[in-house]
Amino acid sequence: MRLLSTLLLTAVAAPALAATPEEVTTHYADLALAGYQDSLTTAQALQRAVAALIATPSDETLAAAKTAWLAARVPYQQTEAFRFGNPIVDDWEGRVNAWPLDEGLIDYVSAGYGNEENQLATLNVVATPTFTLSGNEIDATAITPALIAETLHEADGIEANVASGYHAIEFLLWGQDLNGTEPGAGARPFTDFATGDACTGGNCDRRAAYLQAATDLLVADLTEMVDNWDTDGPARAAVTTDPQAGLLAMLTGMGSLSYGELAGERTKLGLMLNDPEEEHDCFSDNTHNSHFYDGLGIRNVYLGSYTRTDGSVLAGPSLADLVAAAEPGVHTQLKAELDASVAALQALKDAGDSGRTFDTLIAPGNAEGEALIMAAVNALVTQTASIDRAVTALGLSKVDFEGSDSLDSPEAVFQ
Amino acid sequence: MRNAHQMIAPPAIPRLSPPAWGRAGAGGPVALALTLLLAAPAAADTSAVVQDHARPGYDAFAKAAATLATIDGCNPDTLRPAFHAAYDAWMQVAHLHLGPAEAEGRSLAILYWPDPKGLGAKAQAALLTGTPLTPEAMAQHSVAARGLSGLERLLYPTGTLPADPCPLIQATADDLARMGDELTRDWLPFGDLLLTAGQPGNEKFLKPEEATQALFTQLATGLEFIADRQIGRPLATFDKPRPDLAQGHAAGRGMQNITLSLQALRDLTQKLNPDSPKTLAAFDRAITLARGIESIDSIADPQGWLKLEILQQAVRAARDTAVAELGPALGVELGFNSQDGD
Repeated sequence: MRLLSTLLLTAVAAPALAATPEEVTTHYADLALAGYQDSLTTAQALQRAVAALIATPSDETLAAAKTAWLAARVPYQQTEAFRFGNPIVDDWEGRVNAWPLDEGLIDYVSAGYGNEENQLATLNVVATPTFTLSGNEIDATAITPALIAETLHEADGIEANVASGYHAIEFLLWGQDLNGTEPGAGARPFTDFATGDACTGGNCDRRAAYLQAATDLLVADLTEMVDNWDTDGPARAAVTTDPQAGLLAMLTGMGSLSYGELAGERTKLGLMLNDPEEEHDCFSDNTHNSHFYDGLGIRNVYLGSYTRTDGSVLAGPSLADLVAAAEPGVHTQLKAELDASVAALQALKDAGDSGRTFDTLIAPGNAEGEALIMAAVNALVTQTASIDRAVTALGLSKVDFEGSDSLDSPEAVFQ
Repeated sequence: MRNAHQMIAPPAIPRLSPPAWGRAGAGGPVALALTLLLAAPAAADTSAVVQDHARPGYDAFAKAAATLATIDGCNPDTLRPAFHAAYDAWMQVAHLHLGPAEAEGRSLAILYWPDPKGLGAKAQAALLTGTPLTPEAMAQHSVAARGLSGLERLLYPTGTLPADPCPLIQATADDLARMGDELTRDWLPFGDLLLTAGQPGNEKFLKPEEATQALFTQLATGLEFIADRQIGRPLATFDKPRPDLAQGHAAGRGMQNITLSLQALRDLTQKLNPDSPKTLAAFDRAITLARGIESIDSIADPQGWLKLEILQQAVRAARDTAVAELGPALGVELGFNSQDGD
């Protein structure tokens, strides 16, 4: 495996041996499959750790479950580059990584918590076995994956009602981070999962049931996505059947994640709001890692290379090969800019690893934090312009891809 | 999870554009010198947008915000007309998510909306009861508490405010006026960058088409924002319409904001390429439909709800028509935009 990777990496470095769009999109689908497989295996490890926590609540089993959650984020965040541009992924994504959430829907929160736009922001399903939702009586005496997915998630059509996925699990493991923009993450005690008189926070059995069900649901959702990228999977077909459409999806994934999502929604907006709840992993204070692996995932797609959780490297024909052959100047600039954004995100990661987590960096008046954050934002925005240039260099057309039905028959859009 | 249409850019046949010598002077001496020295002139479509759409739009907003800030006292009845004038003016340029409006989070601070987590009310409550604010201090605070949405909560409160809002109203209006001035100031050099796209030394827009693409992208994105957010949020579901989630609802601006946004994007279309009959017709259809809905609150009734849904379809049709008609005509593809993502 290592030898093969080395050979392939050598090929990447020599764009004269230009890959074909067919080879590049097939390899891209292989990268996605590997990324979701790694996400699934790390989620299964989380599932085992959660079962151990519930069976024997202790500081140690809670810490082990948190460690498993953090490990599961590493491969998953690198798959986010596969999301935009492929509706099969994007339509599914809200189940596993929706954010930000009104966590009071799920469990107890501090006094004064609320959201004027969301009447369910303080529902607290853990403490409420039956309740009324949109006029319907809901029986939540058994907390199951189906209840979470079909009844609670996005209840009332409100997107802040996030009942499933990584962040719901994160909240149940860490609890609310009540430190504001000061250091420190959520500090849920393991006794929130204890039985009998040792139980804190009330309804420990229901909290444990919710955590187990949400984790089981995550594993099921990731299994579905692995299947989607397998040999005959629809997500694979969506990018390989028409390689030109596949290349467009690849660059769309890179560009939309770089700019609107990671630079904008998840980073700059948090800074502009100075609100620690506006950080992606707000309970665990793991945002610096989530952002770093997002950025790495964007570069992975371009370079056609992914380092798996077991340390092996999957490398092959890449977008970089195609862009370098089509327009070397665009390739050189984009590659340098991708390296620069990964470096800027690495600086954020280093700060977080040394205790200066994202929520402390966005404190009002933290000039050093603002500089670190804006360096990452600017690097991501800068590379987006070159991703646009790569689209043009490869002669890809979103307009053509959408079709021109609306011009030929304006009424078609009303169908 | 919040969906956004993805967009990408295309190949395209470069369009030959007439020179724009005569217009470059508006960019100031540097731009003039650049334009005189350098080869490729800006495309006519770009210069019309810069000089007849964006710059005058920001100028008008700056003036309206300054007028609002100079009003003495805090009587809501006195302030509301100037507040609406400033809001109206912002609607003419709110769709331009590039350059100075993106810098320092200005467009977020001028109109933070939507606010699905209710952060504005929360942050503003802290400011209301805290120490009095200078405009400088205001600029450091959460964008959710500032700008037009912040003023709307103070001028159209839904309950009793926890403290005298007067100092905060003044600080918010001053902050708004300051940002208006900065936008006007910074659009001179930024406009020059658009006008000198592709010329040596311009590292932002490496080819003339890149400037055109940036503006064309604002058009499509702006229409998506109207359909998905300005209309989509109040429309919600047939069973549970949410007129209260409309932009500017407390100030009674729900439909007005939609209509003004459509008109502003129609103007952008006309400046980008006056020869866009299908797109302009699609805009006219949507604007007529919007005018036919008197109040956003009418969507509480099934018939009113359906009217708004038809408008949403018309706006999406205008977006698709614009992409299909203007893209090839301008020789550019859609680019990525700051509204992509959730």
